[in-house]
Amino acid sequence: MSFDVLMPESEDELLTLLMSENAKIMAGGTDILVRIRAGKIKPEKIISLSKVRGMDEIIDKGDRIYIGCKVTHSAALSSEILKEHSPIMLMALREIGSPQIRNRGTIVGNIVNASPAGDSIIPLYLSNARVVISGPKGEYKLPIEEFIKGPGKTALSIGEFVRAVEFEKSGSWYPLFYKVGQRTAMAIAIASIGLLVKDNNLRIAFGSVAPTVVRAYKAERYFERNNGNIAVMDEFIELCMEYISPIDDVRASAWYRKEVIKNLLRDTFNSLRKKVL
Amino acid sequence: MMLELTVNGRVHSVEINPGEMLLDVLRRLGYKSVRRSCDNASCGNCTVLLDGKPILSCTTFAARATGHKIETVESLEKDGILHPIQESLLETGGAQCGFCIPGFALTAKALLEENPEPTEEEIREALNGNLCRCTGYESQIRAILNITHKRGGLSND
Ligand SMILES: Cc1cc2nc3c(=O)[nH]c(=O)nc-3n(C[C@H](O)[C@H](O)[C@H](O)COP(=O)(O)OP(=O)(O)OC[C@H]3O[C@@H](n4cnc5c(N)ncnc54)[C@H](O)[C@@H]3O)c2cc1C
Ligand code: FES
Ligand code: FES
Repeated sequence: MSFDVLMPESEDELLTLLMSENAKIMAGGTDILVRIRAGKIKPEKIISLSKVRGMDEIIDKGDRIYIGCKVTHSAALSSEILKEHSPIMLMALREIGSPQIRNRGTIVGNIVNASPAGDSIIPLYLSNARVVISGPKGEYKLPIEEFIKGPGKTALSIGEFVRAVEFEKSGSWYPLFYKVGQRTAMAIAIASIGLLVKDNNLRIAFGSVAPTVVRAYKAERYFERNNGNIAVMDEFIELCMEYISPIDDVRASAWYRKEVIKNLLRDTFNSLRKKVL
Repeated sequence: MMLELTVNGRVHSVEINPGEMLLDVLRRLGYKSVRRSCDNASCGNCTVLLDGKPILSCTTFAARATGHKIETVESLEKDGILHPIQESLLETGGAQCGFCIPGFALTAKALLEENPEPTEEEIREALNGNLCRCTGYESQIRAILNITHKRGGLSND
């Protein structure tokens, strides 16, 4: 394991370094260093964000929240803005790893890692997030669903980095987040589900059951058409299952994942009916 | 490259190569309480405190720690007197082989500083990333609960 570690201090310096070949950007390192150790990637240079000034802001932008690329899970968890305006995000962040991982790992690192199991990605899908990209051509935004292309794949081009993520406030929605893991929070999810409900509106997303996190738009519309009364639960579940294409892997079989999701959905809506529906 | 690291209040100047992890540098400096087991961010045995917060030294660049305060378990004992967490672990049998204890004690210290009277659930959650092969965790959780009971004036059961 040999590589250079570069520690730019400004955004300009960072953008220049990003043009070099076989260089990888690193925030908390909780994903990338593990992959380097496992020999899965062999970058020659690591560009660490640790000395770059700023970029750790959480800003209230009216109907949206802006989170800089150096914001750790722990910092986000203690943010008053998020507590008030995005309880669903806090529910998801609490499920990530351990305190050690949350103290170093970042939300933007979680996004760029583009794992279908990424816990913070679910609330971001539910909150119509936009990824703020900075690069040689300046800054632009992409909806998170266009940014994440597949497991570990994003729309990021050479020379670009993710400056921040921006997403809708959801303080007036009822949030739910469930994660089925093997060894409580340390486990990467076998399957997870997040949802937001307000009156007859529903937003619902799943993790670990397809190549990326998915949002079940058809099921959302079915819910709305029925004014929040899901007359036929099986039909609702079938619409959700259209988005689900689980795989067999070391953590669980595809069949098991499907059954988990169906049961999760039934349990979720039973408890929702008691509380809000 | 030369680096200044502040460990347990003491400033060290060390020569490191840029890709070196904090774990390797700390052990080289003689802080052997910082343990390596998985070397891959999964077991918590290499935990140290960075500005009071637990982090994994096996996957943190040493260079990242300059300008910050590092604490290892060597700082817990003062003049022959053990830290309450260490005392409590002895009382409950929370340390068997002891390999996981430095990481465990530091994670627990950070928890108690942030939240002096955690519930059992909060303790379990905070120690989620610290694996132990020997104890089955019950005696370790009890060690922390006993401290909070003492502080809260509750019976020490
Ligand atoms: C023991 C353990 C448990 C874990 N548990 C969970 C869990 O429960 N849930 C979960 O979702 N994840 C979990 N993870 C994965 C990981 O901690 C998270 O994905 C974390 O959010 C990654 O953030 P980071 O800052 O450490 O990313 P890094 O490792 O620094 O980077 C991850 C990827 O993003 C890229 N990147 C980082 N920042 C930028 C940027 N600003 N612009 C462009 N690219 C960037 C890097 O090049 C790399 O490809 C776990 C990891 C470990 C080791
Ligand atoms: S040695 Fe660092 S987490 Fe296991
Ligand atoms: S006491 Fe042996 S590993 Fe924890």
